[in-house]
Amino acid sequence: MISRSIGYLLVLLVALVSFKTFAATENYDIDPTHTYPTFAVSHLGFSTMYGRFDKTSGTFSIDRAGRQGAVDIIIKTASINTGLEKRDDHLRSPDFFNTIEFPDATYQSGNVKFEGDEPKTIEGKLTLLGVTKPVTLTITAFKCGQNPMNNKAMCGIDAVGSLKRSDFGMKYALPGVGDEIRLMISAEGYKK
Amino acid sequence: MMDWLSHPAIQSGLAPFCAALIVAFLFDRIRLSGLAILAGFCTTVYLVADFNFESLSATKKIMLTGIVAGAIAPVLSVLPSHWRMVGYLLGVSAAAVTLWVFWPILIQKDVTESLVLGTGLALFVMWQVVLIDGLSSQPVRAGAVGLGMGVGVGFSALLGASALLGQLGLAIGAASGAYLLLQLLQNKPLSCGRTLTLPVSLLSALLAGAALVLAKLPWYCLPVLALVPLSVYLPVMQKKSCRMQVVGFSLITMAVAIAAAGLAWYAEGAMTV
Repeated sequence: MISRSIGYLLVLLVALVSFKTFAATENYDIDPTHTYPTFAVSHLGFSTMYGRFDKTSGTFSIDRAGRQGAVDIIIKTASINTGLEKRDDHLRSPDFFNTIEFPDATYQSGNVKFEGDEPKTIEGKLTLLGVTKPVTLTITAFKCGQNPMNNKAMCGIDAVGSLKRSDFGMKYALPGVGDEIRLMISAEGYKK
Repeated sequence: MMDWLSHPAIQSGLAPFCAALIVAFLFDRIRLSGLAILAGFCTTVYLVADFNFESLSATKKIMLTGIVAGAIAPVLSVLPSHWRMVGYLLGVSAAAVTLWVFWPILIQKDVTESLVLGTGLALFVMWQVVLIDGLSSQPVRAGAVGLGMGVGVGFSALLGASALLGQLGLAIGAASGAYLLLQLLQNKPLSCGRTLTLPVSLLSALLAGAALVLAKLPWYCLPVLALVPLSVYLPVMQKKSCRMQVVGFSLITMAVAIAAAGLAWYAEGAMTV
């Protein structure tokens, strides 16, 4: 009788823990109208050129209690925008992003590191030009709350990181057009 | 890498030219001067890209095709050049290779567009391979086609917003230029065979196709480029010296190449980074 009671208690505990874990994980859909991966690259050593991708989708989740998170972002490479259509055409060509053959770049992570209650770094994998390499993003701003305009629950994030484009096989115009690419991702997502 | 080696003119001009010149001169004794084209092409691949085939993109597949074609060409050169069936079989094989190269892109398009594009590309590559294969015993004309196709495809691709494809095309032009220069200086033809015609035809045609599919080369540049091998079939200068033939046929193919590049220029203008 006692052992059966303990058994029921254990099942209840497991169920509670599971429920807590489930309830603590909040899932968000990326808001493409407020999510723009931006990049910066040295132009012949004279100045820094900036560009961004206009079309991004994906999801992210956060479990503050469990100090866990996940990110899954898809960037449409053809949506590259540097403010000059002719340069964008060249960046879409096989010299750089080869957008017809590789229309998507993805960033996936199931490893978000926390400092206290706040997420601080995302250790993920970037797939670009069919090559997958680890890329770590540092979170510089993170805020969740109600959007005052539509009263929906949302989170916003700013993250920065860097990569070497040659690691992904993008070797055209090296070293004139810099190898080191700085990434700046500003993203917002609405709670599912 | 030394700075001067990263200059495009060195990578796709001087370096492949020198490599091809050396190979054409040294290998003429064993009748494999045609390998000059592959030597020039591989030099440029080494300088502008690399031989890493981790992610097998269409451009990497083209590079791989060129290397394989260069490797099997000496075997195919043993077959008599008057066996037309070999040329046609090569053409059909080239069409199959074309579909392999561009398949991941073709399946992204709707059925009609995919069929039109796939068929058009396969026919273009087949045309080039069959026509240029017919020149395997005519080193001057074959070299002139290499020059015209290389320069035509190279500049057209460059204007069609892909410097990489442009540089690879120009490497074929530079290597063919070296092959022709040696004949011009010696006033006698070098050995040719399929070691020259197969890489020239396959590589230049596939690079033109890639510039159309992956960059912004206008489709109507391809029919003009298709005239390059046809132009050397003109029954002219047969009695002229080797030197005169080199100059004459080079001018003919270059004129057609400039027409193709001119169309690309008219459509797209120059690119910028």
